[in-house]
Amino acid sequence: MKKTAAILIVEDDKWQAEQHERVLNRAGYNTAVALHALAAIEAIDDIHPDVIVLDVLLIGNTAFTLLHELQTYSDTGNIPVIMCTNIASDLSIDDLKPYGVRLVLDKTKMAPKDLVSAVQSVLV
Amino acid sequence: MSAAQGEHEQLFSGPLLASGLSSFTAAAHELKSPLALVRQLSLMLEEGELSIDEQKRILRQISLTSERALRLTSDLTRSVRLADALFELEPINPQQLCEDIIRELTPLFAAHDREVRFVSHKHPLLLVANRDLLRRIIMNFSDNALHYAEDETTVEIRVGSLQSGKIIRLGVRDYGPALSRDTVKSLKDKLAHAAAPINARPQSSGLGLYIASQFADAMNGKIGVTQHRDGATFYIDLQASHQLSLL
Repeated sequence: MKKTAAILIVEDDKWQAEQHERVLNRAGYNTAVALHALAAIEAIDDIHPDVIVLDVLLIGNTAFTLLHELQTYSDTGNIPVIMCTNIASDLSIDDLKPYGVRLVLDKTKMAPKDLVSAVQSVLV
Repeated sequence: MSAAQGEHEQLFSGPLLASGLSSFTAAAHELKSPLALVRQLSLMLEEGELSIDEQKRILRQISLTSERALRLTSDLTRSVRLADALFELEPINPQQLCEDIIRELTPLFAAHDREVRFVSHKHPLLLVANRDLLRRIIMNFSDNALHYAEDETTVEIRVGSLQSGKIIRLGVRDYGPALSRDTVKSLKDKLAHAAAPINARPQSSGLGLYIASQFADAMNGKIGVTQHRDGATFYIDLQASHQLSLL
């Protein structure tokens, strides 16, 4: 039986995280939420996500600390990361690619289906 | 794995977190989050195929998120007019004010499965302030606590006195990730000389605290932050009213 992909959502706004979960669950994905980078690191060890949907500005350490941490370990360095942020226009995908970031989604412009499409595209 | 501070944080060095952030830019940044969420929730409703309960929950989130954005715009407007307006200072019962605020905030906290409560002082207190500005400051601190404290923790609004009752302190205590020493030191410095948005949490533009410090100045008060092992207290100190001693 085909395994359902597990998506870790790292997002400190609880209602935004809930919205991501709502969209991804309806598309058939399993989801877990971490509200900050430390919780994300624990969740990665626990659930071994297939994809990480990552906000940038988090409580405590920012997403970049988490990205650096992921790259430190061979088992986590290959997990595709989708950045989903309000500051997409300040980020360059070329700068982020070395850190496992495959796509950057702009929260201010995206539609619910864009998140599903992004996850599908990095899982291929 | 451990989360050490990574040198790659430098990847994000955009203007939003720069110390010289203008209020205008900060306002735009601060409003982005609630507006983006409202938009996404609205699109979700448009797509349909949601249960009645889901629709109700999304609608509730839209209205409460919109109210949050409106509070910010309202505070901004008031902040801009500070220099041109006279704000009447009057004796205020802080307990009554805090209880009013808690009544107003309870639906928002309940929607987040959270609680806000008042921790009363054993003796009656009276302070000198502008009711509207003080209310906005405490609402701002409470909103901050709601969004940055740990899940399932209670936010407390506290009233106390300092300097033998000459100063009244209203504080909002959250139980969230502790602020680092560097952050607290930086905050204290900036709160003492606030001339630009004050960034307490990394994802915040700091506009709320900046506005709060302006409102405090207009009432001859001072805002500050106390670091705890398990969270923080943002507070405002105001002059006590002498009227109580005349009673």
